[in-house]
Amino acid sequence: MRLSIYRYNPDADAKPYMQNYEIQPQPGDRMLLDILERIRAIDDSLAYRRSCREGICGSDGMNINGRNGLACTTRISEVKEPVVLRPLPSFPAIRDLVVDLSRFFRQYHSVHPYVVDPAPTRPEKERLQTPEQREEINGLYECILCACCSSQCPSYWWNPEKFLGPAALIQACRFIVDSRDKATEARLDQLNDVNKLFRRRVIMNCANVCPKGLNPAAAIERIRQAMLKASL
Amino acid sequence: MDSPWHCTVGANLRRRSAVKKILSGLRAWTVQRVSALYLLGFTIYFSLHLLINPPASQQMWRMYILTPAPQVTTLLFFAALAIHAWVGVRDVILDYLKPFPLRITALAVLAVGLAATTIWAGALLLG
Repeated sequence: MRLSIYRYNPDADAKPYMQNYEIQPQPGDRMLLDILERIRAIDDSLAYRRSCREGICGSDGMNINGRNGLACTTRISEVKEPVVLRPLPSFPAIRDLVVDLSRFFRQYHSVHPYVVDPAPTRPEKERLQTPEQREEINGLYECILCACCSSQCPSYWWNPEKFLGPAALIQACRFIVDSRDKATEARLDQLNDVNKLFRRRVIMNCANVCPKGLNPAAAIERIRQAMLKASL
Repeated sequence: MDSPWHCTVGANLRRRSAVKKILSGLRAWTVQRVSALYLLGFTIYFSLHLLINPPASQQMWRMYILTPAPQVTTLLFFAALAIHAWVGVRDVILDYLKPFPLRITALAVLAVGLAATTIWAGALLLG
């Protein structure tokens, strides 16, 4: 299997370059991450993030043949050779396939991704929801924060500091529609400016590349509809 | 102790300059869509009217357009066009023009251009 991988070590390289590898997949190798592990066995200078290796942690998001995805859920039988691997676009590369996600997580934290209930007393057990209320957060809570969507979003490329990006916005939607959260008005107010949400251009790359099959574009639309309803 | 964020964020946003919020966020989005509907409706109506009942001369056309209903609806058309164009082109400027002096100049040129065009159309229609 032929691969061309973005390499950059800021301590040693004047500029990034692409390095070619040829690896023979072994029985049991099914995903791209398996091949990366084999490369690292022969070249331990290659840097990439990985953890759960089953599409839960979101660590190994990278650009695979021009399209963002998780190496651990990308089947080697389905990728075209040579497989070109680059770090997630729009984020500063720290080294090889590892990018600096500080901005991404700053934006995630800015939407206050937790249930807010200012009631002075806490429930004795859990905060109950009806099945219908619980249904509302399906398709939202599953986001694993791999950054594939935000990194593939042209609106995010144009305004990475001001537009929150699809990942932060799907998280915002997850708490806006949650019946247990009592800060909906403040959440909608916070997003109602020229940049945070309204820089999106309905390009839909986010929904196209999400490795969990979520639709951040639809979530952003739900926020906008909630804003509209709240303003009437 | 500071107030929690959800208690202060709404009040802080409401305190922001009214000018800054006048055409941003949801309001700009709504205005753009409402103006688009008006532009579409007017264009269809006006095109059909001209096809079915074309004016015989420039004098007839002038008489028609200066009667109150066409006068007001056409004036609204140009106002809607200016607002619609402002939101759309402003978005393009915000997306692509990063240097602040260039951005503010482009926005000023756009604002003056649209205002002048609308005032000119208004002067013609009301003159």
